[in-house]
Amino acid sequence: MIRKWREDGAFLLFISPWIIGFLAFFVGPAIASLVYSFADYNAITKPIWVGFDNYAKLWSDEVYLKSLRNTLYFVFIGVPVTVGFQILLSLLLNIEVPGIRFFRTLYYLPYLVPPVATVIIWLILFGSGDGVVNTILLWFGGAQIDWMGSEGLIKPVIITIGMWMSGGSVLVFLAGLKGIPSSLYEASRIDGAGRVRTFFSVTLPMLTPSILFTVVMQIIYYFQMFTEAMLLSKGGPDYASQTYMMNTYQVAFRDLNFGYAMAQSWVLFVIILLITVALMQSSRRWVYYEGDEKGGSNG
Amino acid sequence: MYRAKLLNRTYSYLFLLIGLLIFIGPLLWLISTMLKTQDQTYVFPPKLLPDPFTLSAFTRLFETMSLMPRWIANSFSVSIINGLGTILTSSLIAFGFARTKSRLRSWLFVVVLATLMIPSQVTLIPMYILFSKIGWYDTWLPLTIPVLLANPYFIFLFRQYFLTLPRELDEATYVDGGGYWTIYSRVVLPLSGPIIISGFIFSFVFTWTDYFTPLIFIQSEKLQMMSVGLQLIMGKNSQDLPMMAAGSFLALLPIAVIYFSAQKYFVEGVVMSGIK
Repeated sequence: MIRKWREDGAFLLFISPWIIGFLAFFVGPAIASLVYSFADYNAITKPIWVGFDNYAKLWSDEVYLKSLRNTLYFVFIGVPVTVGFQILLSLLLNIEVPGIRFFRTLYYLPYLVPPVATVIIWLILFGSGDGVVNTILLWFGGAQIDWMGSEGLIKPVIITIGMWMSGGSVLVFLAGLKGIPSSLYEASRIDGAGRVRTFFSVTLPMLTPSILFTVVMQIIYYFQMFTEAMLLSKGGPDYASQTYMMNTYQVAFRDLNFGYAMAQSWVLFVIILLITVALMQSSRRWVYYEGDEKGGSNG
Repeated sequence: MYRAKLLNRTYSYLFLLIGLLIFIGPLLWLISTMLKTQDQTYVFPPKLLPDPFTLSAFTRLFETMSLMPRWIANSFSVSIINGLGTILTSSLIAFGFARTKSRLRSWLFVVVLATLMIPSQVTLIPMYILFSKIGWYDTWLPLTIPVLLANPYFIFLFRQYFLTLPRELDEATYVDGGGYWTIYSRVVLPLSGPIIISGFIFSFVFTWTDYFTPLIFIQSEKLQMMSVGLQLIMGKNSQDLPMMAAGSFLALLPIAVIYFSAQKYFVEGVVMSGIK
């Protein structure tokens, strides 16, 4: 018994930095933000309690609703497009040809570029008159496009930034591909399956754990999208690239409407929670775990 | 058969080169732009190789942005503090989770993982209010202390690594009369070279590239980080593309140097945190 208490004591001592941090920077702030979300609060004068007003206001706040729709667009269109692209890339980088390490090294590099620098690169590339992309389009006989000024194009342009930074996820997929036993490929070859068939019945099912992990990471990335939208297009044109996080930031630090901003944060938390739980629930049906007979395609 | 294989290989390289153009092309263009004069950027069609090439963008950068050296030094300081601090705190915390036999371990670790999922927005504004009240606003403390004490990612990373070390080592030390501190400092840490390097590098890179935290918590331009400094360059000189490119290059350079000299540890870190 004493041994057990001593074990707990040693454990708590080792993790004590985390306990302090967890209470001070997670639990405390989370409770405070829940409490203040029911108040009119600007951090200077005393909070005025307003009940559910902040939450009720959301439904008629046009800019807020637009920022929510934009963010959902990023999550439901940006995530599948980005992850699909990353899978194709990792298949390409998995080919064993001489010099492949050189390609892997360089493909990863954009992942490390500071976001503000990435935005500057995109401003140079997608500049409306003299940008490189427009010049290339002109060579092929296309027209000049105002990338940043178009409501329909600004979100896809921002998604291309996420795709350019695929390096991290590609590493995860490459590790996943390395983990597929070669016996499965041999069996598939003996069965006479072609490349496409092998991809869909061996590679893809075996990659599903990596896919789940990457999808969750990408969902978090797109829900927290801030720097790119803020600096590339300032949320415009006509709020077409206003993201949820950006909107909350402006409500808090530009309008000093902290209570309302905290209500928005909590709504976002609930949305992320619901989407993640739904994804995890569905994953039982599509993620293949070794030793689990139900999941994946064994046929 | 041989011909088909050769053809396959040709296609592989073709696609790999197209990809290389997509991933490295923008960076080459950045370097090209920073070596041009402002007029050269308006030349049509644009040229990849500046003729003549000039370093005047850097001169303009340091003249108009007199705080540039300061921002770079600030970013280095805070990134190094976070890198070293992360090694210390995360290894201690992760050791507790990976090696002690407490009954509380598993459910508290679920709590750690849960905090990985909570969006930072939820806690950000109260933290801003808190830090304002205790006098931490406009200091470096908000950039370092929360990272050192409560970053779930690094706890997870170190724990994953510690779990791969054989437990017999602990038993042997225990039989020799050593406690957990001895196991931590004499057995586990000396075997943790790779993860210590990965942890330092990741923490350094996260801090160096972070734009949001300094934007919220630092007001004085003198105390500012390079990432926000870069945005200030954009705000003041958005027409001067070579100068913006030069600033971006300086922000990217340290990361690129670390990456090319310690690539192995990047891969190890990502893979370690990625799966299982």
